[in-house]
Amino acid sequence: MVKLSLKEIRFIENYLIKNEVKYWDVRLELLDHIINSVEEKMTNKGLSFNAALQEVHQGFGNNLKTYGIYNHKLMKSGLYADKKGFEKFTKQKQKELGRKYRNQAIKTFKNNMLNYKFIVEYLAFSGLVLTVFQYFPKITVFSGLLILMLPTFYGFYHTFEEKALKKSLSFNMVGTFSILYWSIYNLGLQSLTFFYEKTEPKPYEFFVIMLVIMYPFLRSSMNLYLKILKENKALYKLKLS
Amino acid sequence: MSNSKLYKGSLTTIILKLLNESDKMYGYEITQKVKELTKGELKITEGALYPALHKLEADGLLDVEVKKVDNRLRKYYKITENGEKESSHQLSELASYIATMQALVNPKLNLE
Repeated sequence: MVKLSLKEIRFIENYLIKNEVKYWDVRLELLDHIINSVEEKMTNKGLSFNAALQEVHQGFGNNLKTYGIYNHKLMKSGLYADKKGFEKFTKQKQKELGRKYRNQAIKTFKNNMLNYKFIVEYLAFSGLVLTVFQYFPKITVFSGLLILMLPTFYGFYHTFEEKALKKSLSFNMVGTFSILYWSIYNLGLQSLTFFYEKTEPKPYEFFVIMLVIMYPFLRSSMNLYLKILKENKALYKLKLS
Repeated sequence: MSNSKLYKGSLTTIILKLLNESDKMYGYEITQKVKELTKGELKITEGALYPALHKLEADGLLDVEVKKVDNRLRKYYKITENGEKESSHQLSELASYIATMQALVNPKLNLE
């Protein structure tokens, strides 16, 4: 059985990076498949490395062209593979990851709502918010926005702490859930400034109710975020080992 | 995939059936297994296999395990409990489809 050299493996990985398979957690599956496939074609069909790689490109749906444009430069005459198939692979993976996390978030939400510890936490949070609101309505409403933004700040912190997470599709996807909640809330606050500019007192009650309703969803997405963060860190550690 | 129009609808059934019969498999292994079982008649392309695997994973029918092999990461797919149920459901649907088609295209072979 032909085994690819480290130089050839690096060539494939660099090719993937240059062709916008920028997320390492997407690349790992592609890289393993391409190496296996190229090695098999070189062994059983007696193909050269380049010819075997071209066949694999076609299998993924990349088109082979006799010329190419890379970084706005016309390449020298030769056979080039475009990135159509890999782009489709990444987009499709992104779509399915979004669906997977949505399903998991719903499942986590249902589990939380049946967990007595969470029910106690939820009642305590709601009680605290409603009590503080009686005395400081404006502060409570704007603090609500900060509470909803906490997972996003947490996400930023992790991205800076570990650069590997920045280039991970699963980590990027799971982070978008937390952005959704505070974006809706913030949109409401913006509308309040716009539509109720001259109205006093402003209908802050609406936001407190919104915050209390959003809290279980926020906690579910936070649970999911922490789960994916843990999985991602373990996977990256395995990659580097 | 050869005869792609006929095989396309059965791809998830094929994947679930193979994973039901083994502990775990990786993408490339699935393509080779299908090629081997069908004596090269059916070739699953990478462009068709991975979207199907990712969809089954998102539906909770497959689970994923990553291991380090030959100094690189390999993603293995395993069937879940729901996947096993779905596999037997899809297989019985396929069997009934084949029987119906047989009755249509070759009525003489139908014993009833």
